[in-house]
Amino acid sequence: MLKLLTILRKNLLIKSVIVLVIFAFNGCKKGCTDPLALNYDPNAKKEDQSCEYESFNKQGLLDNLANSFILPSVEAYKTNVENLNTASTTFTSSPTTSNLSALRTSWENALLTWQDIAFLDFGPATYIVLKSQTNTYPADTAGIISNINSGSWLLTIASNNDKKGFQALDYLLFMPGKTDQEIVDYFTNTTNASTYLNDVTQDLVVNATYIHNQWNSTYKDDFINNNETNAQGSSVSDVVNALNLHYEYYLRRGKLGLPLGVFNGFSQQPMPELVECYYYGQSLPFAIRAVESLQKFMNGCNYLIPEENNLGLDDYMDFTNAQQGNSLLSEVIDNQFAEIVAALNGLNDPLSNEVVVNNAQGHETYDKLQQLVPLIKVDMTSALGVQITYQDNDGD
Amino acid sequence: MTVIKKWTALLINKPISISSLVVFRIVFGAMMFTSTLRFILKGWVDELYINPTYFFTYYGFEWVKPLSENGMYVLFGLMLISSIFILLGFLYRINIIAFFLIFTYIELIDKTNYLNHYYFVSLISFILIFLPAHRYFSLDSFFGICKKTALVPVWTINILKLQIGLVYFFAGIAKLNYHWLIEAQPLTNWLKHQWDFPFIGELLTQDYVAYLFSWGGALFDLTIFFILINRRLRIYGYILVVLFHVMTSIMFPIGVFPLVMICSTLIFFSAEFHTKIISFFSNKLFLKKLSLNNVLYNPSNSIKTSLKVLFIFFICIQLFLPFRYLLYPGKLFWTEQGYRFSWRVMLIEKAGYTQFYVHEPEKDRKMLIQNCSYLTPQQEKMMSTQPDMILQFAKHLNEIYKDSIIVEGDEIIHLQNPKITADVRVSLFNKGNKIFIDPTVDLSKENRGFKHKDWIINYED
Repeated sequence: MLKLLTILRKNLLIKSVIVLVIFAFNGCKKGCTDPLALNYDPNAKKEDQSCEYESFNKQGLLDNLANSFILPSVEAYKTNVENLNTASTTFTSSPTTSNLSALRTSWENALLTWQDIAFLDFGPATYIVLKSQTNTYPADTAGIISNINSGSWLLTIASNNDKKGFQALDYLLFMPGKTDQEIVDYFTNTTNASTYLNDVTQDLVVNATYIHNQWNSTYKDDFINNNETNAQGSSVSDVVNALNLHYEYYLRRGKLGLPLGVFNGFSQQPMPELVECYYYGQSLPFAIRAVESLQKFMNGCNYLIPEENNLGLDDYMDFTNAQQGNSLLSEVIDNQFAEIVAALNGLNDPLSNEVVVNNAQGHETYDKLQQLVPLIKVDMTSALGVQITYQDNDGD
Repeated sequence: MTVIKKWTALLINKPISISSLVVFRIVFGAMMFTSTLRFILKGWVDELYINPTYFFTYYGFEWVKPLSENGMYVLFGLMLISSIFILLGFLYRINIIAFFLIFTYIELIDKTNYLNHYYFVSLISFILIFLPAHRYFSLDSFFGICKKTALVPVWTINILKLQIGLVYFFAGIAKLNYHWLIEAQPLTNWLKHQWDFPFIGELLTQDYVAYLFSWGGALFDLTIFFILINRRLRIYGYILVVLFHVMTSIMFPIGVFPLVMICSTLIFFSAEFHTKIISFFSNKLFLKKLSLNNVLYNPSNSIKTSLKVLFIFFICIQLFLPFRYLLYPGKLFWTEQGYRFSWRVMLIEKAGYTQFYVHEPEKDRKMLIQNCSYLTPQQEKMMSTQPDMILQFAKHLNEIYKDSIIVEGDEIIHLQNPKITADVRVSLFNKGNKIFIDPTVDLSKENRGFKHKDWIINYED
């Protein structure tokens, strides 16, 4: 065995020697100029597109995902949540309709940015159950009112997860049956409600800061360096499992399937009250943002400059030559993302109304969302050598 | 005739030192103790036998059911105790029988957990029931519970060698297929992710290395038995065994299997080797050092006819099982009809996705089933690629919903004879997901059993 391996090593050596000799004889200045490539030629001055990557740079992938997407998105989220908190304190100290509208805008911005990081549910986010703490819906509106009326609340306990976060704010900032002035009046007259509002936004800041600090201290390096295998607990496995779970459960099911009634037994009656941002009446921008973010992330795009596309899961799939039909799997997935966005754009807000009056088109859109599931859950995971399992076990 | 007699004498009746058997018993006991303990400490008793609400039984073994939480832990506790007693050779016969029965019972509870090495452990512990492995260097012989024996007929050791040989040989035969040899699948896929393997990672991702490993692995499996029984080559064979299994254990999450094989193959070493091991320890233990010549064993009539028949039957079944797939039409790796109990180890890369529907035929509408409400993630994953499990789950759904009343809003639905269908997508060898079973077939009407499942869609390359 050992002998064999040394021979192979020598073979590799022999190969490179031959390549070097050929280059030397040609006296060629063209060649592969990428030091990461197998056939990197230090003498080459001009790139001639000949670079071969027989090995996939997993560390490079994780490095790119962390540095060009995760860190800037977490940074943006933290900033937006801090702005939300500031807008909230501004509004509660001087409750006016214009401050209310500023608060709503910063709420919307923060919630949009949340879609960019919601699927990063591993490491620090899992540790503090960030997703449930941040955006559980439907919000327990009766619970929110009773919290406010009681005058005391402990937002950090899990039973309050549906009485805080973005969806509690959705209710508080767009109280049904109230004009803007009436909402302003409500907060003017109800000190507890103002405190509650500030506490909820402050709670978002605390969690965002935690995630931000973790990624900016030790976790980033842990994440990048945990690349020896794709087995359970490795970063690649964490990422793939997290985005599968997020897509299947929170996006496909939560953002459209549930309100549409797909999961509602035989009758499949729509459940309009289950849409995200029910009181705001705008759900689709958040769903579209969630899909687009996932797509950008998988393709290894830079968060701030999406045109900058580096090593992503798509490249990893291409490296394993994963196919679907006669096309590259990565292209099929990318096209499916595009179709989903187009279909979502074809629907109209308020989604809570649309799922009732335009149920058929809703189902067509849902089918597009559904079609992506086997592509990422079956094909992508096996291409990347990742197992979808949330259980530890032996194989053979 | 004389030739047959000669071989019978050489392979069955010849007296040989008991030491190989003793060491095997001790090593087996120790391995079973540690792997059972590992199993418990990883929380797998809860995860695999207590948390699930449904279990995929084997056909004909529906009566095998998990015990209560306490009951399961008692079983695992008994396995720990019996493996320690096997190691010590204390009330050996009772304990090895108990171990075999408990271990096999637990394995039969849920086919989700089927692993070839669990099957191997069941077979070995079954064989050990009939072997006098406790007759020396054991508490049984120390306390006089059984007679001390220095010599045993050679069949008692050869049957173990044969069992191990069968495992490797059939694992080798299973590799002689188009995907393994011509496409170097699934290793090509798997090795691509081994770039960070210590020292040789970069090499492992080369295509020719996948071929080398595929062919080398097949050759290893087919020949290792013959190398190990050869006196001169044995040591090299064993080094190969160690290298092979250490390598696979680093690359793939295969738990204790490599250790089990590395330890079990020690049996191929000579009796003198094992005697040395025992005398090395017996100097340090309270047991008196015994010269093997002190006690004699008469090897005439070394194996009872009934036992002989039993073992011939036992081996014949094992020779048949790996080939039973030939009785089914279709592609074995796709349909998995006749796949288990055949030493097909790390042969396929397969992943699937299942969506079940319960139909209300009267009104032509259907309800989506969320697998996670009924199955653990591991069960769902294993079911998604195996037709017999898909059928079992469909029938389970039928049992739940047949003749049930469901209230939805203002509507009361009386489901009399629900139809169960499934959309299943499976990818084999990472070649893109394909439709796996006929989505129009009412699975609740299909029967379990060994008959060909004609609702599996044919695999097209």
